Amino acid sequence: MKRTKLSDISQNPDEQLLDITAEDLVPLPYPYDKPDSQVPVKPLTNEQRNTYECSLDGVSAIGIPKPESKQEENKAVERFLDGFRKLLSRQDNWTFWQQLMLSLESCVRCQTCNEACPIYLASGQPEIYRPTYRSEVLRRIKQKYLDKGGKVFARFTGNDIKLNWTTIARLAELAYRCTTCRRCAQWCPLGCDNGLVTHELRKLFSQEMGIAAEELHELGTVQQLKVGASTGITPKAFKNIVHFMEDEIEEKTGIKIKIPVDKEGADILLIHNSGEFLSWLENPEAFAIIFEAAGLNWTLSSELAGYEATNYGVWYDDVQLARIALRQSEIARKLGVKKIVVGECGHGHKALIVVADRLFTEETYISRESCLPVLADVVCNGKLKLDPQKNDFPVTLQDPCGIVRLMGIVEPQRRILRRICPQFREMEPHGVDNYCCGGGSGFAIMPSMNFPDWRSAVAGRIKMKQLLEVFQDVISPEIKKYVCAPCSNCKGQLRDLFNYYNVWEKCGIFYGGLVELIVNAMVDIKEPFIKWEWR
Amino acid sequence: MGVIVLVIFYGSIAFCVIFSIVRMVKYATAPIHLRWELYRGSSVYELSDWWTKHHPSFKDKLKSAAQDIFFLREYYHLNRGFWYFLFLFHIGLYLLVLWHIWLLVGAVTIDVKAAPTWGLVWGHISVALVLIGGVGILIKRATDENLKVHYPPIHYFKWIFILVTLVGGFYSVQFYYGASMPAVMGYVKDQLAFEIESKLHPPLFSALHVLFISPWLLYIPFGHIMQLFFRYYHELRWDHVPNLRGSNIERKVKKLLNQTVGWSASHIQSGKRWAEVAKGLPEDTAGKER
Repeated sequence: MKRTKLSDISQNPDEQLLDITAEDLVPLPYPYDKPDSQVPVKPLTNEQRNTYECSLDGVSAIGIPKPESKQEENKAVERFLDGFRKLLSRQDNWTFWQQLMLSLESCVRCQTCNEACPIYLASGQPEIYRPTYRSEVLRRIKQKYLDKGGKVFARFTGNDIKLNWTTIARLAELAYRCTTCRRCAQWCPLGCDNGLVTHELRKLFSQEMGIAAEELHELGTVQQLKVGASTGITPKAFKNIVHFMEDEIEEKTGIKIKIPVDKEGADILLIHNSGEFLSWLENPEAFAIIFEAAGLNWTLSSELAGYEATNYGVWYDDVQLARIALRQSEIARKLGVKKIVVGECGHGHKALIVVADRLFTEETYISRESCLPVLADVVCNGKLKLDPQKNDFPVTLQDPCGIVRLMGIVEPQRRILRRICPQFREMEPHGVDNYCCGGGSGFAIMPSMNFPDWRSAVAGRIKMKQLLEVFQDVISPEIKKYVCAPCSNCKGQLRDLFNYYNVWEKCGIFYGGLVELIVNAMVDIKEPFIKWEWR
Repeated sequence: MGVIVLVIFYGSIAFCVIFSIVRMVKYATAPIHLRWELYRGSSVYELSDWWTKHHPSFKDKLKSAAQDIFFLREYYHLNRGFWYFLFLFHIGLYLLVLWHIWLLVGAVTIDVKAAPTWGLVWGHISVALVLIGGVGILIKRATDENLKVHYPPIHYFKWIFILVTLVGGFYSVQFYYGASMPAVMGYVKDQLAFEIESKLHPPLFSALHVLFISPWLLYIPFGHIMQLFFRYYHELRWDHVPNLRGSNIERKVKKLLNQTVGWSASHIQSGKRWAEVAKGLPEDTAGKER
């Protein structure tokens, strides 16, 4: 693998900085231990290559059109610098100014963080995927183009970075080669956060230049605010889904439940990731069964955006983050509930409970908490009759970064699994040291061009390795195994990852949420709730 | 030359103090940020109604900071090969700083003629630790492929300069002052006294050592040591303090939401206040980006 220099990011716009080959990827355990002749990431078509910027690594995550004129290129450079100045302004970027300055100013280039990054490790450790690469490029652009006397100093310090269209286009793509899992930040002895730098870079592109992944912006936050959910589910469609859930619960379990919707004065407003309603309906159904059986005073909301826990703004745009968080709190306050409980959605947890905390004031404040302590209380304090033998198959736990490393919710989900899954086993490493599933920061919902291949072959590879290792003693497809992933984003990534590697057929590994396991263990429900049907 | 040394030495001290304060004030007055913390283990969020529960105290944070600062705990766990030299260097440096403080305090509080000999041992051990650590770091930086990545060449010069400064200080104490603590402390006392004559005619090696130290005093306000204030006193990394109703944080948030938004993309509503912008999408631009 050729060694890419920092200054290479500005040069040779027609050449890729990196070719991803099967030989460079980290090896996987049995049954994927034979050399693979397949190209890990299918190349873009000629038409795609001619239309979109892909000179970083031959992958297009956000489909940036190539500029049509020199003027367009120059304008992009000006707008980039304007945006960068705003990132460095404590007024414009009050939301993250402190963290950004810390990360830009205090890196000592010890590269300790490199060993923490699943993308860098999985891909054979190429320069451009070092967690420090994009930060160092930004640092040098700042020093040369924004600091006083920067161009003069640059000559003495050997800072030969050039800011041109090629640099900007590659940086924009590079901002989507990091899942912002922040494992690197956890490892940095000085507290530098390269995940935050990625976040800020995405923000610069979105908030100043209007460049963002379509799935995050137009189809994500904008659609959520206009239509009601990032999945496009409208309030009317949501109500129909709830009726369907009631029917399906009765059909599956024999239990008749009236799911509370828009119940004023309830203790809990439960908000799910709307992806559950489209792809994993058994998850909100299981929540309904548990909450009703435990006698909780709860409700769902059918208000526009009130049935959607996602907040993609946390991945790329502070303004969109604020708009969605305030909308969620407004709905909860209108219903008069005591608190919002976030369902199995990792980034939804982090966005609403932690990151948005300092966006609320007395007019907008609402208490928020995770579903996991609520569930742990129900399961571990005997509020349900449970039979662990009904879950007597190998189970492991995927730790969503947003819930575990970024919130410190480590034990409640484990207490539950130890109680109801006799064959529960941990991946290594786990807990706050976990590896990202590879679908974090929006990757799991970004199907652009050949990006899904990259996501499975590179971003999710270390997770794939961990899963194969943890189930290696029971790897035969005859033995059904379950990855418990209490996060919609992780589940979306596992679904695609397992399809890419044909995991269900080869290894019999299934995935699902936590509540499905709880309901599966309920004594009162005779038929198995988990159906083991791959889709 | 005496005047030059005098100006450089006292000038650099003044510079160091003033710009350290300026930088600390800059960070201390920074706007409160959105929360973005990391956790090393279980947190209060594992509890129902977490906002009513105990959060880590200042004492907890101080303990964590002390472990990081004095033992470089994270390097120990994550980059052991580098930690050995870093630890020796830093522990030596802390001892050396304490030694200089002791010299300054001793010069005005005790009879310098009775300055204890163990002060010399303390000083030399400190220098030895810094030297061993510093040489080790320089060698690692020059030979380890990972540590060379993105490392600006000028920083190698910085390490050489540190080592030269240390050797100069050692030579001055050991040979120029004949390893006599009363002589060393006496020199310091002269520097602290309001008497100009000895300052205008400094001993050669003392003057040289001062000249080598002065650039470091100019560097300190902009160096990594200032990150201590950044990282710990602003509770950036493990900031568990929630925004509760009626709290000081809430008052600060209110002020920030009254600021105008300066970003230019069409979905932003540039120029309006944060509180207005956060109410929703602009009707005419929603979904029309790019």
